[in-house]
Amino acid sequence: MLQRVHMPSDLGEAAGLLANDPTAALLAGGTLLMPAVNNEVTPIQSLVSTKRLGLEGIAVEGDRARIGAATRLADVGADPRLAFLHPVIEAIASPPIRNLATVGGNLFAWQPYGDLAVALLALDATVMVAGQQGQREAPVAEIVASGVAAREIVTGVEFAVPTEGSWFFTKAMRRKLNSAAIVTVAAVITVESDAVASARVALGGVGRRPLRAPSVEAALLGKPLDAATVAAAAEHAIDDAEPFSDAYASAWYRARVLPVHIRRAILGE
Amino acid sequence: MASTIVQLTVNGQDAEFLAKPGTTLLMALRENLGLTAAKRGCAQGTCGTCDVIVDGRVVPSCLIPVETIVGAAVETLEGLADGNALSPLQAAFVEGFATQCGFCTPGMLMSATALLAENPAPTRGDVVRAISGNVCRCTGYEAIVDAILDGAARARAASTAAAD
Repeated sequence: MLQRVHMPSDLGEAAGLLANDPTAALLAGGTLLMPAVNNEVTPIQSLVSTKRLGLEGIAVEGDRARIGAATRLADVGADPRLAFLHPVIEAIASPPIRNLATVGGNLFAWQPYGDLAVALLALDATVMVAGQQGQREAPVAEIVASGVAAREIVTGVEFAVPTEGSWFFTKAMRRKLNSAAIVTVAAVITVESDAVASARVALGGVGRRPLRAPSVEAALLGKPLDAATVAAAAEHAIDDAEPFSDAYASAWYRARVLPVHIRRAILGE
Repeated sequence: MASTIVQLTVNGQDAEFLAKPGTTLLMALRENLGLTAAKRGCAQGTCGTCDVIVDGRVVPSCLIPVETIVGAAVETLEGLADGNALSPLQAAFVEGFATQCGFCTPGMLMSATALLAENPAPTRGDVVRAISGNVCRCTGYEAIVDAILDGAARARAASTAAAD
């Protein structure tokens, strides 16, 4: 049962509150945390709100984009400078949830949720983290794999906006709107002289956390980005995936359709 | 476990009350302010029947500790009608038989109100997207989508008439 809601106005104070109280949890949008507080037996007794920490906002300079951790998903989905991310945001939950849920919080959504984290993995984003000892930066792959320390606070993400034609995304769902991932595919693929020069492919829904697909990436590199290459590369995806069964799909089904959705994402089928 | 004095503007009126730690906006509306239109459905942000508008955005009130939004402007279903005169959306819901048991209706109307504030002439697809977080187990949604489109047309007609 909650005993206290803190509203710190600087990061040091917030980190201190988290450090000194093992029953404290950081509250951003609340779309993942508050259901547990409302409905479950939880050890959480106090909440530390990000509201007054000044972590909201989107800055784009040249090809670099920086998004504050407490920025609402709806604000990313409405920013014309980040149009390539709009399909990702639209694929997540519903408008009221997107009006609360934050970019930082999405990094900690368990699969088959957390589609923005899958996109950030494909973008090879850098995550800014504040702790009592100051700021550090970490690759998003590290954050989605092992989280942050209990006393740390994610303050933002930074990434290069992909060049025209190099961004690919698809999310297979049970319904067209407001459903979790059966398979999510996000990729940044560049082509030079008719051959794939770089490829980062990230998957959601087929592992307990967002996963990179190095086998698929390796099979794309150096080849023309055509149907035959992509179809062959997509067959390797299962080597990188750890599909699971849940209410949305079985592990068998996810494994079966994974290559299909990689083809659809990259070839626009 | 000290309570906090919370001030909000609710449907244009100042409201002030004492909230225990962790009181959600939903519980504050229902229990402190006696505004019972917003319902407690799932209490996890999935069903949409607690949706209200906070500072212009439709949000599930069950997920917001009220102490974190001190000073906010909150709009609920109770604020839509002008005395006995229903809002265009409410009138369209009544005449279009868009409510059955009525449990989802407050959230449906707040999602629809937020949609029309942003987009007075929505397409059917826009309406479906706007209510994609509002679960209705009675109607099959078609009557609700029709009513929101009708309500939008009524609101446009009313604002054109007012402009003349």
